[in-house]
Amino acid sequence: MMLVVSAVTAAGLVFAQRGAASAAKSGFQGEFQGMLAASHAVQDVRDAALAERCRALARRPRIHAALEDGAPDLLYPSARDEMVDVMEAGREPAAYSLHARYYRFLDPRGRVITPPGPEEAGALAQKDEARLSMASLPDSQQTGYLIRGEGDTETVDELVAMPIVSSDSGETISAIVVGFKTPWAGGGAGGIRRGTWLGGRLAFPSLGQPERSAILGAMERAVAVPGPAEGSFEVPAGGASYLLFYKLLNPGSVFPPAYEVSVYPLADLLARQRRLLWQFGGAGALLLVGAFLASSLVSGRLSGPVERLAEDSEENRVHWRRAEAALEMTSRELQRSARFSADASHQLKTPVTVIRAGLEELLAGDHLRPEAREEVSGLVHQTFRLASIIEDLLLLSRMDAGRLQIQFSGLDLAPLLAGLLDDLSAFPDSFGLRVEADIAPVLWITGEKRFVSLILQNLLENARKYNRAGGRIRIGSRAEGGWAVVTVGNTGAPIPPSSQEHIFERFHRGAVGENVPGHGIGLNLARELARLHGGSLHLSASGGDWTEFELRFRLEPVAAPDPSA
Amino acid sequence: MTKPGIRRLAALAVAAALPAAAALAQASVEGTVRLPKALHAPVMNKRYGIVAYAGVLSPYPPLAVVYLEGSFAPPAAPQAAQMVQKDLSFLPSLLPVRAGTRVEFPNLDSTYHNIFSYSPAKRFDLGRYRSDERPIPSVVFDVVGLVTLRCDIHEHMRALILVLDTPHFVLSDTEGRYRLEGLPGGSYVLKAWVDSKTTLSRPVDLAAGPALHVDFP
Repeated sequence: MMLVVSAVTAAGLVFAQRGAASAAKSGFQGEFQGMLAASHAVQDVRDAALAERCRALARRPRIHAALEDGAPDLLYPSARDEMVDVMEAGREPAAYSLHARYYRFLDPRGRVITPPGPEEAGALAQKDEARLSMASLPDSQQTGYLIRGEGDTETVDELVAMPIVSSDSGETISAIVVGFKTPWAGGGAGGIRRGTWLGGRLAFPSLGQPERSAILGAMERAVAVPGPAEGSFEVPAGGASYLLFYKLLNPGSVFPPAYEVSVYPLADLLARQRRLLWQFGGAGALLLVGAFLASSLVSGRLSGPVERLAEDSEENRVHWRRAEAALEMTSRELQRSARFSADASHQLKTPVTVIRAGLEELLAGDHLRPEAREEVSGLVHQTFRLASIIEDLLLLSRMDAGRLQIQFSGLDLAPLLAGLLDDLSAFPDSFGLRVEADIAPVLWITGEKRFVSLILQNLLENARKYNRAGGRIRIGSRAEGGWAVVTVGNTGAPIPPSSQEHIFERFHRGAVGENVPGHGIGLNLARELARLHGGSLHLSASGGDWTEFELRFRLEPVAAPDPSA
Repeated sequence: MTKPGIRRLAALAVAAALPAAAALAQASVEGTVRLPKALHAPVMNKRYGIVAYAGVLSPYPPLAVVYLEGSFAPPAAPQAAQMVQKDLSFLPSLLPVRAGTRVEFPNLDSTYHNIFSYSPAKRFDLGRYRSDERPIPSVVFDVVGLVTLRCDIHEHMRALILVLDTPHFVLSDTEGRYRLEGLPGGSYVLKAWVDSKTTLSRPVDLAAGPALHVDFP
């Protein structure tokens, strides 16, 4: 009996100790991921704004003239006006910032074109500038990193390279590489310290020399093995032990790979664990002593280790409080980034409105020739597009920060679908599409009307855009086992199997070029909104000449109103 | 011989010599330039005079400028030429001129245009002007080379001015056929400008008489 009791208690204590140690470790891992996710949400907004700026830049005749007519010395002066609000020189950039430190153009062979004056496009030392060159011009956006400076002035920049595509021939004539301050410069919370590893060099401001060289060696061994792009391990350095997390920051980029490195000193954690072990060992020894005494004292001896367990769980509670404080800081930063992206979208929306108002005034006057009217109308259409991209990004960032609340109420899908079908037939299209509808006359779901509309509009627009001449669109809705199932199918080239997993990712555009309007956010937004409604969206068929999406919502439990009432 | 007789003889001799002298300046050349196939139609559905592709500017439809290279007397009078802006394009879109020519740029559209060039052979910016503004802006092209003109407001508008050092040049037709007349006799190099990266050349010996036939390449 005593052997059984002591064995069981000892086993329980061992598991409790292991549990405490791994809980602390995963707590830190979670905080690390949370910080990265917050900065990525902001980077998405920044990259969308930068992409629009580069497209506008590519359309300027003076940029073409500078690149094509043998005038590289006039390139930067011509670009300066276009880039002025990206640069915002003179203002100290905030941690999460749209503002760049410098930008450089690349010639058609990928080499950096040096600006004529030192302050034209942000100051950069010549050897650092040479690292911006690429083997050839990229055809899509690329992310890279640059460590420059020494000692106290060491700093890490995030590089974004965007191709500049000619609007009349569609070829890539140049690229612009913009350098931003990395959003996580400095230390983190809860004792975690962060740095960047790039090409055998470690930028780690808050770390001393012995730890630095140990971490450098450990990272070189870790990245030498081609394997997963993130991991963690323990590193002994300078007499103490550290827990190290690393994560590849720019997978798939043509720039050299850069890793974010986070270390946490295990010294006091190990000390606590050692004390825990001693206490567990002491408790175990006492158990054995108690077991050798009278068996009637077993209950009294059990309370001994239980009290000690209570003390140790007090230690765990301290650890948990620390992890919670770190999480609280993460959520505060998420809120700050959500506020920032709300501010950014307001800042982005106002100039768009101003541009649209100016263009509409132009159209209202009678100074324009028919071709010019057409052009100006096209531009107005583009401002609507830009405004809708901004709205979608704002919606996405609110969803990412967990701040989107759905107001659930009963909603009949039938009139909603009928209304959208009317809109579809009124839309001018060049394909001559037939629309078939097989809609249940009454279908009540639980959801918010404007978001459900958004999802359906998105699916219908895709069905129209990715169709073929003389094709058809089929919309069906039915109730099935507690779910309302809506299917939207269209003829046209199917989605290749290799892309099918990726179509719901953000900014995925697949094989279409610039000719099909869109920005690749639609399906991602639609799926997230469907999930928030407790439903789902997935691709149910894609092959031959038919592609079909299936959207599910929860059926509203109350009975539909009596039509005769 | 009588005095009037001698005078008549002298006049006859001069008259006899004149055709020979005139014949020296009457060499002509004709032929066909093989024009490159237009690589691709311009993306936007507008009338493009000049297309840019892979850093090469070429007329659309393709044309060539055939000219005689050598050293010639400077022009007797200042030369002038015109390149108008009409229907949001330049006319002509490829204009060969002799160095020292003043080219005027009248705006025949009802919108503003803003012609500028970043080419090393001539950098200028005429600013915005409407069709009724006077004086009509003009530029003297005094450096030999190729000048690319663009409009800052209408990005598809492009034109090329080829500044040459010779008075003997001609634009081919869209099939590549050309004919140059009134050329002096002697050894020269005949060149054909095809696009901003390609100029073909042939040495020729010119003499009065039937036209010399030279094809490019």
